[in-house]
Amino acid sequence: MKVPFVDLKAQYQSIRNEILPQLEAVCENTSFVLGPFVKKFEEDFARFVGVKHALGVSNGTAADQLAIQSLIRPGDEVITTPNTFFATTEAITAAGGKIVFADIEADSYNIDPEKVAAAITPRTKMIVPIHLYGQPADMDPILEIARKHRLYVVEDSAQAHGAQYKGRTAGSMGDAAAFSFYPGKNLGAYGEAGAVTTNSEAVAEFVGLYRDHGSRIKYEHEIEGHNMRMEGFQGAVLAVKLKHLPAWTDGRRRAAAVYNELFRDVPGVITPKEMPYSRHVYHLYVIRVKDREGLSAYLNEMGIGNGYHYKYPLHLQKAYAHMGFREGDFPVTEKVMKEIISLPMFPELQDEQIEYVVNAVNKFVSK
Amino acid sequence: MRVPFVDLKAQYHAIQPAIDAAIASVIKDTAFIKGKYVKAFEQAFAEAYGVAHCLGVGNGTDAIYIALKALGIGAGDEVITVANSWISTSETITQAGATPVFVDIDPDTYTIDAGQITAKISPRTKAVIPVHLYGQPAEIDQIAAICRAQGLHLIEDCAQAHFVTYGGRRVGTFGDIATFSFYPGKNLGAYGDAGAIITQNEELAARMRMFANHGALKKHQHQIEGINSRLDGLQAAILSAKLPHIHDWNRQRYEHARRYNQLLAGVEGVEIPVIRREHEHIFHLYVIRSGRREALRAFLAEQGIETAVHYPTALPLLPAYHYLGVSRDDIPVAAAYQDQILSLPMFPELSREQQDYVVEKIRSFMGAS
Ligand SMILES: Cc1ncc(COP(=O)(O)O)c(C=O)c1O
Ligand SMILES: Cc1ncc(COP(=O)(O)O)c(C=O)c1O
Repeated sequence: MKVPFVDLKAQYQSIRNEILPQLEAVCENTSFVLGPFVKKFEEDFARFVGVKHALGVSNGTAADQLAIQSLIRPGDEVITTPNTFFATTEAITAAGGKIVFADIEADSYNIDPEKVAAAITPRTKMIVPIHLYGQPADMDPILEIARKHRLYVVEDSAQAHGAQYKGRTAGSMGDAAAFSFYPGKNLGAYGEAGAVTTNSEAVAEFVGLYRDHGSRIKYEHEIEGHNMRMEGFQGAVLAVKLKHLPAWTDGRRRAAAVYNELFRDVPGVITPKEMPYSRHVYHLYVIRVKDREGLSAYLNEMGIGNGYHYKYPLHLQKAYAHMGFREGDFPVTEKVMKEIISLPMFPELQDEQIEYVVNAVNKFVSK
Repeated sequence: MRVPFVDLKAQYHAIQPAIDAAIASVIKDTAFIKGKYVKAFEQAFAEAYGVAHCLGVGNGTDAIYIALKALGIGAGDEVITVANSWISTSETITQAGATPVFVDIDPDTYTIDAGQITAKISPRTKAVIPVHLYGQPAEIDQIAAICRAQGLHLIEDCAQAHFVTYGGRRVGTFGDIATFSFYPGKNLGAYGDAGAIITQNEELAARMRMFANHGALKKHQHQIEGINSRLDGLQAAILSAKLPHIHDWNRQRYEHARRYNQLLAGVEGVEIPVIRREHEHIFHLYVIRSGRREALRAFLAEQGIETAVHYPTALPLLPAYHYLGVSRDDIPVAAAYQDQILSLPMFPELSREQQDYVVEKIRSFMGAS
């Protein structure tokens, strides 16, 4: 048997008849960049998240940058975790901010509110929690800290479409949020795409301007901006897919439940913990084992897709060597990141496939 | 009659089977990011230009930004560019941390006045970005010679100049790096945002690939901070389907322009674009000048004729650049032309009837018979 890490084709087969006419409609209307198909998706997505504005941009990295840049000034400190995709911190720098790391919680793998509080200085202006793997960060204490210290909060929701925190949807709790619609995400486009969600008029205005070269009216550039627009194709695809997202999320949650059940009797495997405050959407199903390199090699041999999210803590990346961090600076992240491995996860995953994966893991860890 | 400024639908219908097939195969293969369609287009484009490296990126703006970063241009540096262009050319200079230094345009070709570049070079100057505007090559021989002599990098902005030649040689092969946009309305246009970078320099190519891919050549190993700028598989497949047609389309544009020039020659109050014998022009835009631009434009709009202005405000005169303190007197030609230039309908499928109609209306407005 082969179990791919993600299987986009299975999903495509199920919605093919809805997607193709939409793509042709984009061609017929030649609305290739922003335009009515993007607008429709923006409206649908804003409603889905429960915010006033959603703005389609070119990808999640751009969404992170614009959400952050709309709220800070150059040199402001921005607190985030070293356990995220590199895009989050790249975006902080691109937005003019200074990266400050805070360690994660050992059970949720998300930013630890206590570590956030400890990292605050007079120059801190923002917290960027990541709802990693599809599980919301513990937002109430984070929002409380932000209120107390007058900090902005941007939720990196790239992995958390439709995830909930105490009934509130990821992307609706902070001052702004960034989403990625990279094809493999829970809500994935057919190319690069992203969005910023917000209730703030000022954020929406900035993002709307900046993504299109700083102009509201063609050729009238109020500020320098960039080209960071969502494509018509992607708006059309995403609008179709959004309707299916709740069912796909159920599929992921079901698959996670099956994994959890089967792993219950496997010693040496730490399964993901769904926190009491959250509805996890399992963008990734991440377990922890002692020898993940060995397990990864074994799974590859067995035809089972797997990955590391992520392989190295960001503070130890070469790109941040100039910041002078050392091993030991963020011990929870460092420990967890040596043990994590992501197993196949997608809505159409079959029970037999999950059993095959769990058996393989079991065989390896009990060797 | 209605004459659109561009008619992307006409082109889509002309090649619809190839486009639809391209889209269908990318989807069937779910090859949305990187993958074989991107690779195939990169190879075909590099081959067509006879260069060693082509890198597909998110759009033509990213292309310039990536080129600047790969050349190590940043805070404290100056980059010389032209006063009349699309804002991407200069905003990316600022984003890289450097300062744009604007040079006026040549009154005949509307591209950077090569004779004024040397005077703008300072000890901080690191690069020159000429733009082959409207499909007309800048004086790229002379510009390349200046860059060589002064040790400056040369980035050619070819967003409007796919496959045009200067003295028989393709523009985009004179500098260190050339950048392209495949915005849908361009001579070679995708069905969304797309761009490319070409270079002969292997080290630069590797650095640009790394920067455009989050600073990583190997997964998980981020050497530097970068960005996410990738050519979509869908766009790559569409561009590959269109690439074989580009020379025909360029020729058709050129023929339309020649005909416009013939029909408008001698109309009082209308300046037609220059076609030089020794250099090609592929007429991404067909731009005339008139002292009564606004009235002419309004009149044509009433007659159902779409026109545009490229660009209504010279870059240094935009609010975004007030801090540079450039005045109209510093760039007299661009400052005067911005109020006179008018882009007429131009696309390969433009019909004789449409063209005759446009010309007739211009003549009647100008009081010519
Ligand atoms: C946490 C996180 N932030 C940001 C991004 C960037 O999104 P994109 O790949 O669309 O640029 C991603 C996805 O790759 C992500 O997982
Ligand atoms: C001269 C010039 N440079 C750069 C660009 C930017 O390209 P893009 O729109 O693909 O970002 C364009 C096109 O819009 C352009 O005309």
